[in-house]
Amino acid sequence: MNIVEVSTGDIFPIEVLPVDQSDYTSLSKARYFFDWKAERSEEVYKLVLKGQRDILGLVSVERIPTEFRIHIRLLTVSKENKGSGKTYDDIAGNLIAHVVKIAVTDYGPLACVSLRPKSSVAQHYIQKYNMKVSGITLSVEVPEIIDLINQYDHD
Amino acid sequence: MTNKHNKINVDPEYGVDSRYTSSKERVDDAVALMQARLERMKNLSKEEILRAKLMQLKLKMENYLRGEAGEQQIHFAYFLATYVDALYTKRSEFAMDINVTPVFLSQVINRHREPKEEFILKLMLHSEKAFKGISDFQKKVWYQVYFHEKLCDTMASQDKWGPEIEKQVKLSESILG
Repeated sequence: MNIVEVSTGDIFPIEVLPVDQSDYTSLSKARYFFDWKAERSEEVYKLVLKGQRDILGLVSVERIPTEFRIHIRLLTVSKENKGSGKTYDDIAGNLIAHVVKIAVTDYGPLACVSLRPKSSVAQHYIQKYNMKVSGITLSVEVPEIIDLINQYDHD
Repeated sequence: MTNKHNKINVDPEYGVDSRYTSSKERVDDAVALMQARLERMKNLSKEEILRAKLMQLKLKMENYLRGEAGEQQIHFAYFLATYVDALYTKRSEFAMDINVTPVFLSQVINRHREPKEEFILKLMLHSEKAFKGISDFQKKVWYQVYFHEKLCDTMASQDKWGPEIEKQVKLSESILG
């Protein structure tokens, strides 16, 4: 899995790893937009450049096995990777792809990943990740969920 | 006068907060979503279901090689059975496709005998064809899974083979200088 440095177009390999408890001391609201310390007891993953420690993005998830679903609670990129002057692209996509891989591993053909973005940005997620709309919830399931994995899962 | 704090952040990928704020919200969301999903699932084709099953197998094999198999007792034969059952209604049909006897295949799947090298080579080539158009599947994964199991079994049983083998192994003083 890779991200792209926007200014050069260079590709860098990344890793998505579980967040260590010691990571939370550096997860400031100023850089990561939300109170990530409140997610300490949740299942949280971090995206880093391979072999490096600096956290470029985070995702917190909730597994709902009875529904064969993983719900994305919180998702963010770091401040310097937001907006038109971002350093790297594809951080959020890789985090979503990581969650999607967990869902397919556990739930196979019944896998579903959901999230509830604000209406102002929902269309972006519908178009970029081929998500379906159910009320105010967006979700990705088979077959689009497989395409999403293939889109991001390459070296 | 403009106030920069009133500027709406329109970058959709800076973050999403989709935490449920109440049990009612969670339940209502679950019901609506499941109803919609059930409708969509009715229209899934056999090919789409097969793609998902093979992708699931691929991801499980990759997790196994990374040591992330969890509590399950997983081994080469488990992945082989999962692969065959995803593609075929009868295992004997798979046996015919790779030119082995159904008895041999059954013995390998039930771990009564070791797969021969030729069998693993056939499995590699078969899966290369099966995964074509579905996912980037490295056929060498079958060999990696097979030897990973051997390695794990060997290291897990070191208490049994260690003492006897240790008696036969020494490091000459000349090497130590």
